[in-house]
Amino acid sequence: MRNQTSPYLAPRTDLPIRPPPPVPALDATAEDALSDLDDSVLAVRAREDDDDAFAILVNRHSSHLLALAQHLLGNRADAEDAVQEAFLSAWRQLPEFRHGASFGTWMYRIVTNRCLNVLRRPRPVPLDTVAEPTAADPRSSPPRVAETDAATTALVEALMELRPELRACWVLRELHGLHYNEIAHVLGASEQTVRGRLSRARRALMEAMRPWR
Amino acid sequence: MALNGRYPHSDEQPESACATRATPPLPGDTERLAGAELLPCGCPLGHAWEQARAPAGTADPSSIRCPCCRKAIEGLAALDRATRALRTAEHPDTRSLADRVINAVRAEVRLGALLMLNDPGRDLRIAESAAAKVLRRAADTVPGTRTASCRLSPSKSGHIAHIVAITVAAKLDKPLREQAEAVRQAVLHAAEHVLGLAVTTVDVNVNAVLEPSRVPGARSEMSDR
Repeated sequence: MRNQTSPYLAPRTDLPIRPPPPVPALDATAEDALSDLDDSVLAVRAREDDDDAFAILVNRHSSHLLALAQHLLGNRADAEDAVQEAFLSAWRQLPEFRHGASFGTWMYRIVTNRCLNVLRRPRPVPLDTVAEPTAADPRSSPPRVAETDAATTALVEALMELRPELRACWVLRELHGLHYNEIAHVLGASEQTVRGRLSRARRALMEAMRPWR
Repeated sequence: MALNGRYPHSDEQPESACATRATPPLPGDTERLAGAELLPCGCPLGHAWEQARAPAGTADPSSIRCPCCRKAIEGLAALDRATRALRTAEHPDTRSLADRVINAVRAEVRLGALLMLNDPGRDLRIAESAAAKVLRRAADTVPGTRTASCRLSPSKSGHIAHIVAITVAAKLDKPLREQAEAVRQAVLHAAEHVLGLAVTTVDVNVNAVLEPSRVPGARSEMSDR
């Protein structure tokens, strides 16, 4: 009797061919069902090869990780490559990912290390592609918007002048809001080292922003 | 100070009162300090920066008046304005990137072991990862529970029958025994009626509590810093 109830068992050939019954939108339903899960549960499911769970993690984190990579590498194309490779690397390493660790911090670590490796290669970073247009606030006056854009561009350029390790510390702290211990974990450095690098980065950036006071 | 419109006016009397800051900061402060470097007045540079960024009314008045601290934070306002603009500008559209990643992941999906279905001909198999996905979704339909791990292994009675070990997080609004039983029934039903997989045992392990107000996503946890 069990076999007669299962739709996936041996097909009957004595029945007329009919259009299949409507299939519920499995992917949309699955995504809805999974979207309220927190990262740790999704990571466990992804570790057991649930690609839908991993897709939620990718969608949830890719924007922040791409922003991080863009600020570290200075251009969109390299940043996209770094984030894509980081996610694929994470997918392959998931069986070793420890339950209980933060998936987000783990991804920050993979992306940051990948970006730092790219920056250690001897090749110039095209600074003319660094500047990002700043979202204009319609309530602001055009001169004010222009000034903000110019100051932001100056900051991005100053950022690209920093040593990659200092830049990573500053971006993780100031743009992504990580705690010192998380930055230390991401960079594989001590918290004291992180504080020192952050201090040096801030001092250099303050100096670069002197004309904008 | 500078960041909150509280930058000291030029007519304020400079004082060296913040020399008292040379006393070591509290452990909680230390965690927040960026630089341990001491200014000539004895105040850690990081403390001056933190004071400059403190919400209105909470800054240490002595560091507001100290010319040494004021000099140290010159330029911080300009930097912070530009930082805020940069922060608000960073929401790149990642749809195409995410699609590429997910397609690549699905192209190399690991199927895992193949399990024998309970068909009369004994010639139908299903990948363990696919079966586990269906069973996890079935368990997720039980209100107040969310499935984490789902593993299948052959039963000792033979290769046709299987044991399911499932780990769930559950709300505590109902007795756990009831919820575990509902999960077990959902898994058994899906195994039999959706997959056609013979399952002899469903071991349910509740290993976490679902909190109703919990906001998913690591980013939201980080954004409150």
